[in-house]
Amino acid sequence: MTQVIVAAALVVVAIALSRAGGLGLERELAVSAVRAAVQLAAVGALVTLVFDYAGLAAAFVAVMLGTATFTSGRRLRGVPGAPWRAGAAIAAGAATGIAPMLLSGAFDTTPRELIPVAGILIGGAMVATSVTGRRLKEQVGEDLAAIETRLALGVPVREALSGAVRGAATTGLIPLLDQTKNVGLVTLPGTFVGLVLGGASPAEAARVQLTVLLALMAVEVVAALAAARLVVAGLTAPGERVRVPGAG
Amino acid sequence: MSRIETEDLAVARGGRVVVRGVELRVRAGEVTALVGPSGAGKSSLLRALVRLDEPAAGRVLVDGRDAADLEPCALRRRVGLVAQAPVMLPGDVRANLAYGLDGPADLEGALAATGLDASFMGRTARELSGGEAARVAIARALTRDPVALLLDEPTAALDRDAAAPVEALVRDLAARGLGVLIVTHDEAQAERVADARLELGAAHEARTP
Repeated sequence: MTQVIVAAALVVVAIALSRAGGLGLERELAVSAVRAAVQLAAVGALVTLVFDYAGLAAAFVAVMLGTATFTSGRRLRGVPGAPWRAGAAIAAGAATGIAPMLLSGAFDTTPRELIPVAGILIGGAMVATSVTGRRLKEQVGEDLAAIETRLALGVPVREALSGAVRGAATTGLIPLLDQTKNVGLVTLPGTFVGLVLGGASPAEAARVQLTVLLALMAVEVVAALAAARLVVAGLTAPGERVRVPGAG
Repeated sequence: MSRIETEDLAVARGGRVVVRGVELRVRAGEVTALVGPSGAGKSSLLRALVRLDEPAAGRVLVDGRDAADLEPCALRRRVGLVAQAPVMLPGDVRANLAYGLDGPADLEGALAATGLDASFMGRTARELSGGEAARVAIARALTRDPVALLLDEPTAALDRDAAAPVEALVRDLAARGLGVLIVTHDEAQAERVADARLELGAAHEARTP
């Protein structure tokens, strides 16, 4: 309980700093922290149930995918078809990691292994989709004059936006690249910590963590590229024109 | 010979028709001035000619062919639009001139046609002066081998000394056989450079003679 109290105090510090720094994120920080507490408590209870009933595991993964789609879809608001575009990018990314893992036997299809692995990979795909898609949407709004200059020179929308796509996808992958490069030096990631705390040997925990991190690289690259492609398609109007993203 | 013609063209901006009934002819070898007050729809008309915005009504013909039947990228190479305050793309002047080209082109010739020498090729495009950028933007459109050029207030941000070479360039481009449509709010400039004029008046209906 002491752990939770200390962590809650740190959230209060974060909110105070956001207010002092004029970031305007106080409400979102508070809501995110409360949501995390409620959701993790519920998940803890639910996962116990799911572990006992294997048929619920697939439904649990579907709920994770649906929630990730809803979250990313809101980040892409203003792009026509934002929810399904976000969902498709997340699904493509997550499937890139989950399918080989399960088919090769790297992880079991038992709920105890499927749910945590799927959760990590879906979560990674969601972050890459949200950051890439949102950055691309913003860049189209910021660089519209340059983009239309390119269109006026007779290139298709896909090419006129290629620089923005590269920039947005790179931005979307920075968190993962930093985490992977610094793992074990700056951070001990959650999977490793959880396994060690659960009684696994550090060597076994490191092996599993490495597997997950390397899988995340493929997952997030696929999700970032898919999100960028789908956002470009959503912002392309007939006649090789660009739709200005709506407010969102 | 008309390079660009419009038939009862209407143009919208923000969902509202800002100009209608435009009967425009941009002839090969001539400069046509498009004049009118601010907000009359001059820039919107230029955008509609290359289908950066879809016309609200009417037709645009390029060398006798309906622009709606032309592949959009091909239309925009055929009719070059140089926007007001042209944007220089990242890289040097050469990269700007070559942008989007999928085959060999006479980049040096296009630059020379605007009165700039080959030493400009290696210059960082975003560090050019206003007058230099205006000419590089025109050269960039020329590398597509267009039949017509649409210039949106090419001297608006330039002082008289910088504007004079650009006005001379506009006349020279027409002399080379291009049809040139220049948007200007400067009546004196229209008198100096244009062979014909289209006025977007209070009624925002316009007809070239």
